[in-house]
Amino acid sequence: MKKFFYCTLFFSLAVFTSCKKDTNYVYGVNDVNVSQPGISKPNVKSTIEFISIAYSDLFGTTISASDLTDLSLCYLAFGDKKFIEDLIIRNFLNKPGVIIPTQASMMSDVPAFVQATYRKFYNRDPNEFEKWQVVNYINTTSNITPELVYYSFMTSDEYRYY
Amino acid sequence: MCSDHNVTRREFLKKTAIASAGAFLAPTILPSGRLFAATRARKANHVVFCLFAGGVRQLESVQMADGNMMRWTLNGSAPITPDIAPGMSPLPLPAGLALQNYGTLFKEFRYNNGPTGHVSGHHTAITGVYNSNDLNINLPPTSPTIFEFYRKHNTPTMSALNAWWISDSLGPYPALNFSSDSNYGALYGANYIQPATLLSQTGYNVLGNPKVFTTAEKAAVAGIRSILDKNFGHSYAGGDAGIVNSDIDRSSLETYISSSFNDAVAGLYADPWGVGASVMNNDMNNLFIAEKILQQFKPELLVVNMQGVDVCHFNFTNYCDNLRKADYALAHLWNTIQSTPGLANDTILIACPEHGRNASSNTVMDAYGRYAVDHTGEQMSREIFCLVLGPPAVVKQNQLITSVSGESIDVAPTIADILGFYPDIPSQYTGNMGSPLAQAFV
Repeated sequence: MKKFFYCTLFFSLAVFTSCKKDTNYVYGVNDVNVSQPGISKPNVKSTIEFISIAYSDLFGTTISASDLTDLSLCYLAFGDKKFIEDLIIRNFLNKPGVIIPTQASMMSDVPAFVQATYRKFYNRDPNEFEKWQVVNYINTTSNITPELVYYSFMTSDEYRYY
Repeated sequence: MCSDHNVTRREFLKKTAIASAGAFLAPTILPSGRLFAATRARKANHVVFCLFAGGVRQLESVQMADGNMMRWTLNGSAPITPDIAPGMSPLPLPAGLALQNYGTLFKEFRYNNGPTGHVSGHHTAITGVYNSNDLNINLPPTSPTIFEFYRKHNTPTMSALNAWWISDSLGPYPALNFSSDSNYGALYGANYIQPATLLSQTGYNVLGNPKVFTTAEKAAVAGIRSILDKNFGHSYAGGDAGIVNSDIDRSSLETYISSSFNDAVAGLYADPWGVGASVMNNDMNNLFIAEKILQQFKPELLVVNMQGVDVCHFNFTNYCDNLRKADYALAHLWNTIQSTPGLANDTILIACPEHGRNASSNTVMDAYGRYAVDHTGEQMSREIFCLVLGPPAVVKQNQLITSVSGESIDVAPTIADILGFYPDIPSQYTGNMGSPLAQAFV
């Protein structure tokens, strides 16, 4: 009898505790737009902002009021803005006093140069893919110079935005 | 031999003829989506529209109330009124016939609607649409400009070097080379230049010494820039970036501007017409640069303005003198066109003020005792003239239309008609515009 009791108890415990109804959990995921921190730049720089920032980036000092006025007026006086911006940058690059790293400095640590160039002109760090692309381009292009890299950044689309 | 392909010589020739006719008659689907290219034959391959602007009153122009101030343009030798004659600059006398003999003069043209202001008048002339009173002078026109119609409705689509807008001053005028209309815009805009600022010693000082890169260096830059632009979410183009020239056209532009810088700093622009450096004014300089651009690029459509007469707000005699200078400059422009291969006998020149001036004076008296005149909407400030000059086979010669005929909004459709694309402008736009000035043409 005692043996029967223990068998019944064991059987009952086994029946009522071994099976449990499954609970269906549903996990929701919200849509998220992934973007590089700092790359969201919806606003176009004004003429004065573009010219004065470009000058400061290349000379490490503020452009004079008279030069800023003259350049702004010349900027307005021609309809193809990319053309005139290119002309402004190339005139800056040809002026004495422009501050550009040496070739040796760039080639001694290309990743650091690229990182610094992104920060200087885009006010952000490159993501790993961007960094690899530019570093790879510099390392595999024979005639590339720091001046050409600077010129490329300053005439790129992102440089015109903030 | 397959019996199905066994045709007689007669059947072969018949089918060939039908296929050939079909190839010629079948409509061509163009990239723009239109069935045909510009459908109407061109009257000429070049149009120069000179906005004889600044507010020219009929009294001093075609009515010659103070003598013939426009002896290069209008027939007549009536001397300038003695009281203001001492205030006139020495200018060469016309050697041949006055310009009106080479075309049709609408003596009673009208600017019928909108504010009698310079910007509103320019908008109307360039778009062919009257403006409402809420015009924002700091923004591009809301209606497409004649430049956009020209560049969009031509086959092949014309490069921007074929369309130019040359203004005498900055302010709101740089915004007139394309509109904000979503069907047109910067992609179809004209090249714009304001020579007095850009092609000057100042322009040379800040832009005259650019770094020059080799072809290999340019290729290297293009490689990096391509990486940078692909990784950025926006394309700097459209209205913000102004109009777009191709790389080849930009190279031509840079060569032209560089050459102009050199000429300007060498003093060649001080008195290019030999009338005396003190006589040359901004209007004359502006038309001189228009001539240089016509000679350099031979554009199919060029619009240039003058506004020196607007000094009339405070100096009537100086206004008359500037009217004479504008007259001389217009004739110089016409003579340059006629002496430029590729433009001579294939160009139609249209000249028209944007509006007139009031009948009544204001209270400002000049040194010769004449009162100044504003343009504040009196009927006389809506009365203007329009001159259409061109080859005898195209434009009616020495025709004077004295009845009230033609409006400011007719100029843009007339340009479209001359260059053969007027039928291609969608009706939603032509419905707001005037009509081609058919009376002027043979």
